[in-house]
Amino acid sequence: MTDSLDIVGQSVTRLELEDKVLGVTRYTADLKRPGMLYAKILRSPHPHARIVAIDTSAAEKAPGVHAVLTHHDVSSFAIEGDLLVLDARLRFVGDEVAAVAAESPAAAADALELIRVEYEPLPPVFDCGAALAPGAPELHPGGNLVDGRRLVVERGDTEGAFPTAFRVFEGVFHTAAHGPVGMETRSALAEWDDDRLTVHKTSRSLHAHDRKILSNALGIPLEHVRVICTSMGGGFGNKDEGRLGPLAAFLARKAGRPVRLEYSRMEEFIAGRNRQAMVSRLKIGVAEDGAPVAIEMRSEMNAGAHVASGRNVTRRIGQGALYLYACPNARFEGASVYTNHPAGGSFRGLGAPAGHFALEVLMDQVAAGMGLDPLEYRLRFHVGPEGQPGRRTTPPGEAIPDEPVEGGVPFSSHGLRECLLSGAERIGWRERRQPNGSATGPSRRGLGVAMGIYKGGVGREAQAEIHVDRRGRVEVRVGVVDVGQGSSTILAQIAAEALQLPLDFITMVMADTAHTPPGHITAGSSTTFSSGHAVKQAADTVRNRLRERAAATLGVSDVSLSGGVFTAQGREGAALTFHQLCAALPEPVIEQVTLTPGSTDRVINSFSAHFAEVEVEMDTGRIRILRYVAAQDAGRIVNPRLAEGQVTGAVLQFLGIALREELLMDPTSGVTLNPSFLEHKNTAIVDFPPVEVLFASQPEPLAPFGAKGLGEPPVVPVYAAVANAVANATGVWLHEAPFTPKRVLQAIAQQGADRP
Amino acid sequence: MTNTVPDNPVTQLSLQVNGREVALEVEPRITLLEVLRERLDLTGAKPACGQGECGACTVLLDGRPVNACHLLAVQVDGRPVVTIEGLRERPEFQALKEALVALDGGQCGYCTPGFVVAAYAVLRDHPAADEVALRWALVGHICRCNAYENIIAGIREAGRRIG
Repeated sequence: MTDSLDIVGQSVTRLELEDKVLGVTRYTADLKRPGMLYAKILRSPHPHARIVAIDTSAAEKAPGVHAVLTHHDVSSFAIEGDLLVLDARLRFVGDEVAAVAAESPAAAADALELIRVEYEPLPPVFDCGAALAPGAPELHPGGNLVDGRRLVVERGDTEGAFPTAFRVFEGVFHTAAHGPVGMETRSALAEWDDDRLTVHKTSRSLHAHDRKILSNALGIPLEHVRVICTSMGGGFGNKDEGRLGPLAAFLARKAGRPVRLEYSRMEEFIAGRNRQAMVSRLKIGVAEDGAPVAIEMRSEMNAGAHVASGRNVTRRIGQGALYLYACPNARFEGASVYTNHPAGGSFRGLGAPAGHFALEVLMDQVAAGMGLDPLEYRLRFHVGPEGQPGRRTTPPGEAIPDEPVEGGVPFSSHGLRECLLSGAERIGWRERRQPNGSATGPSRRGLGVAMGIYKGGVGREAQAEIHVDRRGRVEVRVGVVDVGQGSSTILAQIAAEALQLPLDFITMVMADTAHTPPGHITAGSSTTFSSGHAVKQAADTVRNRLRERAAATLGVSDVSLSGGVFTAQGREGAALTFHQLCAALPEPVIEQVTLTPGSTDRVINSFSAHFAEVEVEMDTGRIRILRYVAAQDAGRIVNPRLAEGQVTGAVLQFLGIALREELLMDPTSGVTLNPSFLEHKNTAIVDFPPVEVLFASQPEPLAPFGAKGLGEPPVVPVYAAVANAVANATGVWLHEAPFTPKRVLQAIAQQGADRP
Repeated sequence: MTNTVPDNPVTQLSLQVNGREVALEVEPRITLLEVLRERLDLTGAKPACGQGECGACTVLLDGRPVNACHLLAVQVDGRPVVTIEGLRERPEFQALKEALVALDGGQCGYCTPGFVVAAYAVLRDHPAADEVALRWALVGHICRCNAYENIIAGIREAGRRIG
């Protein structure tokens, strides 16, 4: 590891921010092409139905209409295994029925009204239990249990261990569906040049998903598909999924003109990919000293009409229960269930926030039941640097999974304890926390703590290319998308540091399949770790080649490089600027790296310890957040200002989700009742106090310049930190999120807190 | 301005956008935002909610911030409209730009032009506005990245420089 760093660790300015402030950044829906048409989608009024007949003749003759698309016009390729480009079977209110491309948005909307559809309504099923019951309508071949089985992962023997426990604690925890709400809605612009297709599209996975999906759906070679997403207006784990790209491409091919498709906010809420409702049943057995001896979690996720990335979502519900506390016996069982809800997908943290809500609230109940302070309980029993008890199950020489189950594998770096101690000191835990439920009066204050464990070094195959040309232009090419989190800045800092060049020498080229090597999906907080590794390795090689060339030019054995100048070692005054060296290059210096980072003997995870102070109005059930301290272990921080912004943004986003965001559906018609900002309220600028952000100090030895993942970890403990603070204030445990005043009042009524 | 003739639903408009006269024919149902973005290629104002609830499409109308998605183009016939593209030329805009960039007042950037136009108007009218007043002046703007703290810090810093 480099001892002194010049650029990594500095709060350099976000690279594209000036363009964003000036409004010159072009997002997908800002793009136009000569002759471009506007697309609109006809959506299902039924939660479950079959299209018997569809007549598009009137729509096709409407003024300005150039193409109408139905399930008869598309290939039979299944986009995500269970999703056709268009389907005669409709599975939620808002499902895509047909699409129109016309000369104006209004003309396209008018034409939708002229499409005549005969539907055969089918019985719908909305909740998981009903969907899994015998005789339930099957939404997909093979039944409503996704993949036909429950996912089971375990360590040790929970069944054998529970009877030996001194006490067993149990609880059921619910989290509601909510919208991801990127401010930019899903958009795509498709244009054909002969049999070559270019699609600008909101995406976080151009290479790994969109390009392959378009190639398969449209039946053209992969090399004929170019996908671009150079600016995205918020990702949060969303936007690569679904029918958007293929629909735009099929329409453009049929119309013979470029087509732009742009979701409305209502479509985004209904036909985007939402965070799914989840329920977890958790059981914790403890020894006489309070130590967990067995933890078992059984979870169900309401996947909605299509599972998309839901398989991973369900798996991640269980990771906290499996790994956050040292425990020899742990088991997670997860089911993803098809229903006639709008389709879910992946959203920041996947199932981890819901899983940690259950785990960390029940652990507070364990601590209370065993007469221990919740902070002390965590300090005693959290998983330590040595990892879980038990034995390794990954074969020797193979990479340790980023969501491990096995014991016997130590963490590569482990800042959880430091986070607990620094966060507790910041909020004044030891001086100020009173026993649960001891507050009195109409408004009651309390403190809560919750921890989080999350992937910190996802080993995705990553590629990077660095080109240095004779003009001294240094291009760093990576295929990943900066979804708004700032990865272009972070990767540029890593490149500049490794190259030992000033940051403004670096030009980032990202997210265009025509100009970048294949990139992984922007998911799992993996970009800094995986793509950062590839960028650093490519930059290290380029730096060494340039130094060798400079040394040869100067006639010395070695040179130092600083501020863009090569200085001869051992010969006073001899120097060469970077640009002088480049001008004399016989050919551009090009380095391409492909690697899959990770470890064969260590777990690489990020940790969180969050502390909330709340005030609860006992008469109204309203929760006010008074203070929030977020301590994060993300290894070395590449850019403190961006990192603090990421953590602050994550916490504020999830405070809104914890307190009020919820998509409501009418239980008979399947209609989503609140698909708008008026009724699905997310965090506004006046809602919460500033988040106090702390970082642990230990760099991760296996990460590029020591940096672990940070995009998702700070969302993981938020539900639980708030719920535990409410319990401290009121003596009442919250088991259902969001914590709306109605739910808080219900909990107070049911659990019988003393009224003022 | 209304046009009720069903077979000729087009109205003549004269817009003043960023100091320029623009003559247009539009259907009465078309919003100001659609005209700016699709007819005039002024894409700094962003569509995000379509119902005046998020502020991403904010422009100045008669000098005051408004949601362009929530106005019909026919409602602004003859009235001066200034978009982010018009503001960014102004010398008094530079402090706001510099402070927001320096203090990381934006992440994905999609809501940013709307915030900037509204902040410009607030600082113009109340350069010494305190933090609470600024927050309430911007309460109609949503940033899903929740970069609010840095946005406020940037606007306050710009206010100090202008003030």
